[in-house]
Amino acid sequence: MLKGHLDMIVLAALSASGSAHGYAVIEEIKRRSGGAFDLPEGTIYPALHRLEQTGLLKSSWTTADNGRRRRVYTLTKAGNRALVDQRAVWKQFADAIAGLLGGSRPREKPA
Amino acid sequence: MIPDYLDRLERELNFDRSLARSVRQEVEDHLWEAVAVDCTGDTLQAQQRAIASFGDARVIAAGFAATSLGIHSRRAGVAAILVIASVFIAMKARIAWYAAAQWTIGDEMRAISGPVLLIDRHAFWLAVVVGLSSWAYIRSRPIPAALHPAYCRQLRRFFLLCSLAAAALVVSVLSDAVLTSILLRGTALSVEFLVPIFSMAIEIACAGILIARIRGISLRQASAAALIGT
Repeated sequence: MLKGHLDMIVLAALSASGSAHGYAVIEEIKRRSGGAFDLPEGTIYPALHRLEQTGLLKSSWTTADNGRRRRVYTLTKAGNRALVDQRAVWKQFADAIAGLLGGSRPREKPA
Repeated sequence: MIPDYLDRLERELNFDRSLARSVRQEVEDHLWEAVAVDCTGDTLQAQQRAIASFGDARVIAAGFAATSLGIHSRRAGVAAILVIASVFIAMKARIAWYAAAQWTIGDEMRAISGPVLLIDRHAFWLAVVVGLSSWAYIRSRPIPAALHPAYCRQLRRFFLLCSLAAAALVVSVLSDAVLTSILLRGTALSVEFLVPIFSMAIEIACAGILIARIRGISLRQASAAALIGT
């Protein structure tokens, strides 16, 4: 399940932290999920590269305090829009599941 | 320990050398940062933990394969169109030069040049149609998150289309070479020869570039397939 939503998770983490490098994105995901998403850290990097290729992220190389080269990612406008869309879809899904499991009916979609 | 892991990761990413280099730098930064925040004080164990948390190098490399192959195949599709367009321009420039210089094929060679010209035209337009189809095909296929068998089949189809376009283009270029040599045959060597020879050199170079691109895709696909195959 986590794998199918990895792109949304990465976009959300980057949206929260502004610009961040891979390690910081992973830390942000762990922090914001309360450690619930304990996925192999390396799996984030193919996702970051894929999101960059699809234009949802952009990256630049900087030099970290320790002198090492560091790749920093930032959400693009398209990435922000994609995150807004995914949030809406997720909320609709979560409401529907909550209604199903909790017995309450999900809110009607406005016409 | 971290350098060994980075070497392994770079080897696994050998289907895309520039990607391998940039990923290596990125992962190196990640792993050393993980070691730096490890509070145990044992550097060797901290490195072990950082590598274990990061995941298997082969699995990570496989994660990059779909995007890399997808991007390179799309670029090869664009390259095929540009190459065919360049051959067309070189061909038209040479024909315009023949017209301006009033060079024509002698009657005794028309029996040979007629069929060659027919082959040239058909081969070139076949290259155009198949080249455009291959580009449209790969452009219309979304790049998946992981390299699954269905996408591998799509990449193979694209490879076959590109190979067919390249084969047709090679036939067209060879026909052009035959026609050019027929036209220049018996003509006294002069500076005017430079235009047809230069345009032929452009055509041959274009065909070579396309073949090299297709070979590159084939090698990348083989490396990536080996990566997900085991």
